Amino acid sequence: MAHFEIKDLTFSYPAAKGKRSLEDVCLSIKKGEYIVLCGKSGSGKTTLLRHLKSVLAPHGKRGGEILFNGVPLEKVSQRDQSAKIGYVMQDPDDQIVTDKVWHELAFGLESLGCDQKTMRARVAEMACYFGIGDWFHRDVANLSGGQKQLLNLASIMAMQPEVLILDEPTSQLDPIAASDFLNTVRKINLELGTTVIITEHRLEDIFPYADRAIVMDGGKVIADDTPRRIGKLLYEQGSDMFSAMPTPVRVFYGAGGEGECPLTVREGRNWLSRVFPEAPGVSSFPAEDLAEEVADPALLLKELWFRYEKDSPDILRGVSAEVATGSLYAIVGGNGAGKSTTLKAICGICKPYRGKVKVFGKPVEKYKSGELFHGCLAMLPQDPKSLFVKKTVREDLEEMTRDKALIEQIAATCQITELLDSHPYDLSGGEQQRAALAKVLLTKPRLLLLDEPTKGIDSFFKETFAAILGQLKEQGITIVMVSHDVEFCARYADRVSMFFDGQILTTDTPRRFFGSNSFYTTAANRMSRHVFQNAVTAGDVVELYKRNREG
Amino acid sequence: MRGSDRDAFSKRHPLVNFVFFIGAIGCAAVIQHPVYLLAGAIGAGSYHLLLNGRKGWRMILGMIPMFLFLTAVNPLFNIYGATVLFHVFGRPYTMEALMYGAAIAAVFMVMLLWFGCYNVVLTSDKFTSLFGDLIPALSLLLVMVLRMIPNFLRKAKQLMGARRSIGKGAGEESTTKEKLSDGMTVLSALTDWALEGSVITGDSMRARGYGVAKRTSFQIYRMTCMDWTLLALISLLLAVVIGFAAGGSTAASFTPDLFFAPIAGWDALGLIAYCLFLLIPTALHVKEAIQWHISRSKI
Repeated sequence: MAHFEIKDLTFSYPAAKGKRSLEDVCLSIKKGEYIVLCGKSGSGKTTLLRHLKSVLAPHGKRGGEILFNGVPLEKVSQRDQSAKIGYVMQDPDDQIVTDKVWHELAFGLESLGCDQKTMRARVAEMACYFGIGDWFHRDVANLSGGQKQLLNLASIMAMQPEVLILDEPTSQLDPIAASDFLNTVRKINLELGTTVIITEHRLEDIFPYADRAIVMDGGKVIADDTPRRIGKLLYEQGSDMFSAMPTPVRVFYGAGGEGECPLTVREGRNWLSRVFPEAPGVSSFPAEDLAEEVADPALLLKELWFRYEKDSPDILRGVSAEVATGSLYAIVGGNGAGKSTTLKAICGICKPYRGKVKVFGKPVEKYKSGELFHGCLAMLPQDPKSLFVKKTVREDLEEMTRDKALIEQIAATCQITELLDSHPYDLSGGEQQRAALAKVLLTKPRLLLLDEPTKGIDSFFKETFAAILGQLKEQGITIVMVSHDVEFCARYADRVSMFFDGQILTTDTPRRFFGSNSFYTTAANRMSRHVFQNAVTAGDVVELYKRNREG
Repeated sequence: MRGSDRDAFSKRHPLVNFVFFIGAIGCAAVIQHPVYLLAGAIGAGSYHLLLNGRKGWRMILGMIPMFLFLTAVNPLFNIYGATVLFHVFGRPYTMEALMYGAAIAAVFMVMLLWFGCYNVVLTSDKFTSLFGDLIPALSLLLVMVLRMIPNFLRKAKQLMGARRSIGKGAGEESTTKEKLSDGMTVLSALTDWALEGSVITGDSMRARGYGVAKRTSFQIYRMTCMDWTLLALISLLLAVVIGFAAGGSTAASFTPDLFFAPIAGWDALGLIAYCLFLLIPTALHVKEAIQWHISRSKI
């Protein structure tokens, strides 16, 4: 018997004026399956997932039927639904209800009215399984994002659900925490047989392990097959979603490979080894010139030292950097290394106790505060929501300037013209990012700082965002970006710097930078480094592949 | 937080902590007898130092000027008393009023010290767990409010930081009007943000079965044998102190004439009980330290 049976589900939101968010969705999900649901933002993934749990189902016009274990979902009691259908949402913070880790773990059990003995046993079990023992007594506020999301998962698993539904659970996490989280989900699926339905942007981490991938577009299911065959289907359809596929898949179809499609880096390597048993004729791109001295840097950092409190350890330990005018400069590195703090130091939110920040040749403290942030420097914060203070995007932009024409022009650049009258919180992550960028651009910055701009954005929106950054560069704007997203940096940055232990260790062009790393590099490079020397993006690998095969 | 990991009394069941502090703070507020006050000051001071270490000294030293000030100010308002020391603005400044000021100031200081200890020992989760069994819904509400406040502050900070880095928001040179209007903007944005967050929190609660059954409360603290013993001891000592206080052995009056109930004979028992009671947390700590020392030296 199917675990979930979705029959002709149609749904439209009351405000959508008949436009359907879900259209004739038919799905059957077996017990113990691991299912990946993918699609662009706004394709109806979340709407579909929310229908699988009555208390979360959105209000609106709905047709069709959902059966859970053969029983219509609305006939399943709330109690059974709470315990058996677990639902993890996107935001790690807002999902947490109580202030202590142990209390949060027990929350669901308390709601179900379990007795002390059962609760003790289950909480202890969960704490062990998830490795929470060490931070069991901690305040929730002191946890990292990854720990918070793991706690959310654990507190749901404490109720022993049969199905686990996860709606973009890792979009707010850094790559390491994200793959930890996804590994745990996989472990639950493997060891406990819990059915998993997950939506994710980071397909590289889960695609190889999923039993089935379901692709949605415009509220419809456009593909439903094993991950291995999905890539081919999307490639043949010329779907936008193809760009979200894992690197090996994109390289394989992009290069016109034959046979079985590789899903993991390992499979990708094997495939390339088979194609090129001997070293290929063209094995690298021509060497680039060494990074020369920057003549007239837009930004100059010299030996910055900073700590938050008098007795706390130094966060910045002699950060030095030069950023050429009109370039896109990316800083990559681990969590908590001080990357965001560097940006804050540039804006003067943090004051380094030693060292110099020069913006366009002038020390930052010599600027008057009005001068610096008008027509000179601006920062897009990590959470775009922290820039919205008004009821519509338009009002938010009008807060910055009265110049209507300029607003229209910038809105067009950032591709948010249609969104101007929406409430900022109603936009998707990628849209919020662009609206926030528009607001920042209204200060007419010549130096733009971006803090994790691709966090929580799907691959499709990333390309849009990159295109906007390209336009800004053409206008002569210098961009400094801090990011975990090595793929994005490899593709679009002019210079990449490695931040570690409070300082910038190396700076180079993306090709030289990632080409010489063997761990901290892109999937494309890891997959091809035994054949090609400095291919760092999927496009690079495809190009070298083709040159060798055709030439 | 730190204190609760450190000392023996904090590790006891919240109920024991709670009853102790109610007793200690209650007695400190009511009894003005100088000997009892001194005992209170020693008890509160020693426990405070135990909990806060070097930082505790700073607070206690900082209290001395306040104590002197409160003492000196009282006679300016209170002109009763038989022994006139001198005149200020034509009003008598009396010794009795000065003594009374000292007593009131001491009461104030001792209570402050106890409250300081209370804050370290009885963290919010312990407090709410006390009522968790009685009124689970109320206890949950309290927990959520307690979590909301720091969240709100953190978000406010983030919002203001973000605004500053695009040249918005009030800086040092802004006029009061600008600061005010910017503050309003931030506040309204924060409210929106919090509402948005609370929708998600609500979903998360309902998704985990909030309201489908009668709530129970997970008790992380368990009453052990030692906790019951301590609770009994605390109650007994408190009962003795209250009994003697009711019998008038802690009576003290300052104006117009100084009068302190003599502490002699049976009345001394009340004071002894009070001292023992106040020293419980400190004694527990010392006992544990000694035990540790012994068990470690055996290894």
